[in-house]
Amino acid sequence: MSTDRIEREVTIAAPPERVWAVLTEPVHVGTWFGTGSPAEIDLRPGGLMMLDHGEHGRYSTLIVKVDPPRTFSYRWASAYPDVVATPENSTLVEFTLEPADGGTLLRVVESGFDAIEIPVEREESAGYESHSKGWTGVIEKVGAYAEGRDESPLLPVS
Amino acid sequence: MTAVEDVLGALADPTRRDLLERLSVHGSATATTLAEELPITRQAVVQHLAVLDAVGLVHGQRSGRERRFEVRPERLSEAASWMNLLAARWDQRLATIRRLAEAAD
Repeated sequence: MSTDRIEREVTIAAPPERVWAVLTEPVHVGTWFGTGSPAEIDLRPGGLMMLDHGEHGRYSTLIVKVDPPRTFSYRWASAYPDVVATPENSTLVEFTLEPADGGTLLRVVESGFDAIEIPVEREESAGYESHSKGWTGVIEKVGAYAEGRDESPLLPVS
Repeated sequence: MTAVEDVLGALADPTRRDLLERLSVHGSATATTLAEELPITRQAVVQHLAVLDAVGLVHGQRSGRERRFEVRPERLSEAASWMNLLAARWDQRLATIRRLAEAAD
C-alpha cells in the first residue's frame, strides 16, 4: 500500500452540479469537513478555505484548482492547525466529479504524505494545547515508532 | 465493529492520541508518570489507557505496585496502519457528502 496517497471514491445519486455545491458551499463544507458551522471559503485558486475542527484546531487550507463541476483541489496542512498550507507542510486533496448513470462518480485523492516536513523545533517549544494534533501527526508518529525509524521525537522527553 | 473502527473510536479523543504519542516516545510509562505530564488526573489517565488497551493499542504489565504501559505498534502497522485510518476518515466524509448531495433541498 502506498504511503504517499489515499484514493477513495463513491457513487452519488445526484448530478455533478449538486455534488459540486456540497463540496464548495460554506454550509455544506462546514458539515462534512468541520464542526457544523459554515466554513469561510474564498472560492478561487489561491483563496483560503477555513476548516474549523473544534478542539483539533482551525485549518487554513489553500485552494489550488476550481473547475466546476469537475475538479476541486486544495492543500491541507492537517498536522498544523492555524498555519496556512504550503507545499512543505501539507497534502494535496483533489476531488474529481464524473457523470455516471444520471448521478456522479466522486473521487478523492489525498497525496503528498511522504513529502511533509515535521518542524521539530516548533514541537519542542509548544505547550500542551498544541500537542492535541490531528490524525496524521500522531498516527504517523506511532507508525514510525512501529517501523523502528523514529529518530526525532516530536515531544520533549522529560 | 471492525478492527479499524475500534481503533478509530479509541483515537477519536485527542487526549488518548496524546497519551499514545507520549508512550511511543517514552517506550513505556505508568499512569502516574503520564499524569504528571498532563493537566488531567491519574484516574483519568487510567481510564483512557483502559480504552486504548481494550482495542489493543497499548499493553499494560504489572511492575511493582503499578501497571506499566507500552504501545503495541503491530495494531497500527498491520490491522490499522495510519493510512488505513486516514482512508477510513475519507470514507466517512464521502458518505456525508453523498448524504448531503442526495438529500432534497
